[in-house]
Amino acid sequence: MIEITGVTKQFKNETAIDYSDLTFEDGKSYMLLGASGCGKSTLLNMIAGVLPPETGEIRINGRVMNTMSQKEKDRFRIQKIGYIFQDFKLIPEMTVMDNIDILRLEGVDTSGAAALLERLGIASQKNKKIKHLSGGQKQRVAIARALVKKPEIILADEPTGNLNYAIGEQVIQELLGVSEGKTLIAVTHDDRLAKYFDCVIDMNEVTGGRYDVESAGEKHA
Amino acid sequence: MLKFSLKNMLIKKVQVILIIFSIVISAGVAVLAYNTAQQVSEGITSTAGYYSAIIGPAGSKTQLAMNTMYFTDAPLGTIPFKVVSELQQDTRVTEAIPFAMADSYNGYACVGTSSAFLAEKPLREGEMFRDDASLSVVLGYSVAKTCRVSVGDQIFTSHSAGEEHKTPLTVVGILDQTHSVYDNVVFTQLKTIWDLHEDGHEHEEEEDHDEHEEHDHAEMNGMVCAVLVRTQNPSFAMTLVSDYDGRIETDRDGDSFTLQAIEPMDTVRGVLEEANNTKYIVFILCAIILVMNIIIISIITLLNMYHSAKEISLMRLIGIGMRRINLLYIIQNSIIGVVSVVLAFLISRLCLTFMSDYVATMGVVLNLTKVYPLEIVILVAVFAISVLPTVICTTVMARKDGISD
Repeated sequence: MIEITGVTKQFKNETAIDYSDLTFEDGKSYMLLGASGCGKSTLLNMIAGVLPPETGEIRINGRVMNTMSQKEKDRFRIQKIGYIFQDFKLIPEMTVMDNIDILRLEGVDTSGAAALLERLGIASQKNKKIKHLSGGQKQRVAIARALVKKPEIILADEPTGNLNYAIGEQVIQELLGVSEGKTLIAVTHDDRLAKYFDCVIDMNEVTGGRYDVESAGEKHA
Repeated sequence: MLKFSLKNMLIKKVQVILIIFSIVISAGVAVLAYNTAQQVSEGITSTAGYYSAIIGPAGSKTQLAMNTMYFTDAPLGTIPFKVVSELQQDTRVTEAIPFAMADSYNGYACVGTSSAFLAEKPLREGEMFRDDASLSVVLGYSVAKTCRVSVGDQIFTSHSAGEEHKTPLTVVGILDQTHSVYDNVVFTQLKTIWDLHEDGHEHEEEEDHDEHEEHDHAEMNGMVCAVLVRTQNPSFAMTLVSDYDGRIETDRDGDSFTLQAIEPMDTVRGVLEEANNTKYIVFILCAIILVMNIIIISIITLLNMYHSAKEISLMRLIGIGMRRINLLYIIQNSIIGVVSVVLAFLISRLCLTFMSDYVATMGVVLNLTKVYPLEIVILVAVFAISVLPTVICTTVMARKDGISD
């Protein structure tokens, strides 16, 4: 279970986001909808331990993320969290398998990669370099890399952002298929995909959008 | 980790090749220059220390020393053989070896002497020539190898004018490799030189050659170019030099000869002092090349790391710890460092073989297997320099956590 309590995040450009308290239950899929800048990706980054919140607490299965050391956060992220990035975060000059095998640097067992690629329909591409793949194929590789370590939590930031609707829909279905039984939090602005998720959260309502720190008094008045 | 490092290096092969090339050039030049300078210096000094005094005709001290000990340059002239006999009777002298150099074989100097001259040089093949015989030769290792001559073969030496003598010489022995000037010389009895020039004299009379050359050949009979002397102690060498230097001798024809006596170590030391200035200039140039390359290597590595920042950020995002990333880049640069240093060493040895031919003309044969401690220090320093910028970069990145927003 992921509990978000009293979390705020301030940015260098003097804007900030206040999050209402949220809870994500184990084994369910969540879709975070909302306009750009409302704090969807920031929330995912804070859950993953990539960004620290200014105030409040992010508790995952009883462990408070923002009190962990960087080393503990790294261990937690590599063991418990599968993160799928909007821009894939793959090394273009390396092959599909190398991009997955990179996790072995941290001792992750990637023996299930072939089966996962098979399930995602890109097994034949496993020895191809990322730069030679289409956007849909890259997204599938990113999904395979996130899931090969069998994480408890899957975070997907705009997993269909670079894809057309048809392919995006297919990728979402595949993602839901392979992440069955795990907690999935996906950020998207395409509400047509909402039907595939257990819960849909409107982040505009959760945060009220981003506001200037200087006018914070007016907002909260 | 190693496999991933190699794959990552393969991706950046152009950068990797550039870095290796840069390191190989800098380290190779530094090691080669140091090794050559040291071996030349040591080769010259060790040979000079073997004899206490050299007695020869008046003229340049350096030329007398270089000709008799390193077989370079032309002899200063001749002195009567009776000087050798006199020195052999001298109680201060333990060894007086005659030395005559007049001919060559395929460009290699031919030296007429006694077997005592080669007493401490082991034979690889055959036997030492007998002093009471004539027309037999013992070849230096490189001469036999280069000219593909074996024991029992006959060779024809040439006079300095370039004409080949008609009388063949029989190869009776081949010296073991000494990595010294001896590898490049043909040794024979003094009598052989005299006999050949007696023939040559007759031959050239037939050919109606100029009078001056005939006179030279006639002079070789009963003459030597120098006498190499070992004394019982260094003070005897000083008194011997004092006795013989400037002395005038006459031969059986009544011709007079002014003698010159030198202590070879003093003469060579003087030459080396001048050569040392050149050696220091070479070292300074090497140091400049090395410093410039350190800067180049550091810049290339820093640029490499800058380009790798995205890759590092990516690895951090998927949860790979900074320690692992540090290790990954340190392994990569260590591989580059090791490969470069090994290549630099091998290339320096390869260049040494080419240098060896050049240095041999100065009378020194380079030992390709000789490695000096400072060479190891240079190579280790270059290796450290190739890894250090990465360690600094990744440490700085580790402090900043390496994750880009």
